[in-house]
Amino acid sequence: MNKTRKSYLAYQFQRPFLNDEGAEARRKDFHGRNAKRVRKELASLRGPIMKLGQALSMQSHVLGNEWIEELSGLQMQAPPMHEALMRAQFKGALGKSPEEVFQSFDPAPFAAASLGQVHWATTHHGDEVAVKIQYPAIRDAIENDFKILRTAGLPIQLTGHLQSSVIREVERGILEETDYVHEANNIDFFRKHLADLKCIRVPSVYREFSCDQVLTMSRVPGLRLNDFLKTHPSQELRDQLGIALMRLFFFQLFKVHALHADPHPGNYLLNDDGTIGLVDFGCVKYLKPEVIRCYAQFWSREWVEDRELYEDIVTTLFGDERGAKDPKVRRGMDEIRRFYDKFHPLKQPDQILDFADRKFMDALTQLARTLVSNKFLSPDFLFLSRTESGMCNLLHAIGSRAATTRIVREYAPRNTPRGRKI
Amino acid sequence: MVNTRKATSNAGKGGRRTKPTGKRDANKEKTKQDILRAALELFREKGLDGTTTKQISRRAGIAEGTLFNYFKTKEDLALYFFQKETKDLIEWFQADAKLKKARLPEKLFAIIYKQLEYIEPYEDFIGAVFFRSLQPHSKLSPLSLESQALRVKYLQFIRQVLAQAEESEEIPQVGDLGAYAVGLFYIGIVMHWLHDTSKGKQKTLALVDRSLKAATQVLKKGVWDW
Repeated sequence: MNKTRKSYLAYQFQRPFLNDEGAEARRKDFHGRNAKRVRKELASLRGPIMKLGQALSMQSHVLGNEWIEELSGLQMQAPPMHEALMRAQFKGALGKSPEEVFQSFDPAPFAAASLGQVHWATTHHGDEVAVKIQYPAIRDAIENDFKILRTAGLPIQLTGHLQSSVIREVERGILEETDYVHEANNIDFFRKHLADLKCIRVPSVYREFSCDQVLTMSRVPGLRLNDFLKTHPSQELRDQLGIALMRLFFFQLFKVHALHADPHPGNYLLNDDGTIGLVDFGCVKYLKPEVIRCYAQFWSREWVEDRELYEDIVTTLFGDERGAKDPKVRRGMDEIRRFYDKFHPLKQPDQILDFADRKFMDALTQLARTLVSNKFLSPDFLFLSRTESGMCNLLHAIGSRAATTRIVREYAPRNTPRGRKI
Repeated sequence: MVNTRKATSNAGKGGRRTKPTGKRDANKEKTKQDILRAALELFREKGLDGTTTKQISRRAGIAEGTLFNYFKTKEDLALYFFQKETKDLIEWFQADAKLKKARLPEKLFAIIYKQLEYIEPYEDFIGAVFFRSLQPHSKLSPLSLESQALRVKYLQFIRQVLAQAEESEEIPQVGDLGAYAVGLFYIGIVMHWLHDTSKGKQKTLALVDRSLKAATQVLKKGVWDW
């Protein structure tokens, strides 16, 4: 039982590391095909069966990566809606049909979104908008999933120390995504706070055409990763976009203290002027100051020589009971330091990191594995790592090069004494 | 020659049956509709029990005694309501060319949703009628003689929809039993719908969608594969 829970966390953690390239190779083998077939079966039913998919995807130690890869598609996706259902749900949510609300409305969805689907529309003022419509009663389905997860007794026999808080955090995050009003607030928040970051474009919300289950936003220009790569972008543009992505991450972390935490590549729309459209703000993490401080200190590596600071960091992250004496925590911290020293050296801030280099991605995956096996997992850290590795995956796919240490220094606080809030 | 004559006379009869040509019949049908409209309005305003026959006849602009010539009980009124609903439903479906091309789960979803949409303004009335219809002596009972014509008409319509899916091999042959199953499913859905307090009755929408997709999948496989 404990294993099941742990592997769910492991899954959450590994998700960003399952990159397209590796998955493609895996799909070719028999197990991959098998997994895909099962996912297709489940996907066609979805709904209550989504539970089953989730339960299965938690069994990563039994099923292996190709299964997680396939089943991960089920995790946050609602069943597709046909036109009749989409209209019924839209009317139930806003009280009017799409044609009454908009000047034109495309009944064919343009994309699947978290928990629903997105349609193009034009307002009566002629604005082009994206309308996200949620699958009906999805919140109940998710609440039931987690009820089952709990009542099945999974959390009871634990040797871990923070696991149930991680489950809570994941549930909170997913449930939050079901409320589009919350997402609209997130969009407003990021639109305001990212205004100074000229390389990032955030949509605006049309509140009058939105509610908890329908979200209308302005259309943000840009190409999805795969389409962008087909245009054979120059290395210069690749680097420019990579730097924009890194700036986005560290600006959010150190200046905004909140993260757009869904690292799915489809959420970044790439433009040839080097700007990036950021969409889907369902999964946003507002970070505690002490977590940001710890993260800044991971980077600064001050703790290596400072026993007291080390204890301060691990107690902040893992609480008193896990303590500073746990050798597993130490192993995790050492692994992080080795990784940073190699790829983000402090003494050569101009060293260029080539994200296209397979070695970097392998090291990142290895780091994640080490952290998972040493239970180096706290809820805040989980979100942070997921987002950061998601960014690295994207940078790898784009093929960017960047002087990472220099970029981080643009935003990271200097000399952050322990305990002091930043 | 015999055949031709027969066909001609049939057409005449048929025309009279479906669309009253006589002025008297037309007036009668109009009065019935006036009464129904008045009654439904009042049910919505005052509830089923709070509405008197006097109020209905006054709003419909007829004498109270005349009302009973048309509808003896509220059940008769309900039966007329459902006849009209079924007629409208079939006409709507026939006119929607796009929906005819959709897959079976979407078609059935659209049909059931249309029915729910139709009864939605009169939820109280339908709720009261629904529970009464479960009594064996009710004219609305699925087993009653009075409701037979209505039932057959609805089942034939569903049978046709299913037959199209059978032809295109979307599902295997399900025959009349399939139509009965959909009919029973609808009764269950109305029950759920009446108790559904979620916004926009979205729990019912999800239930209908998921059930129809699951049922189609099961039929495709041909077995209950647990």
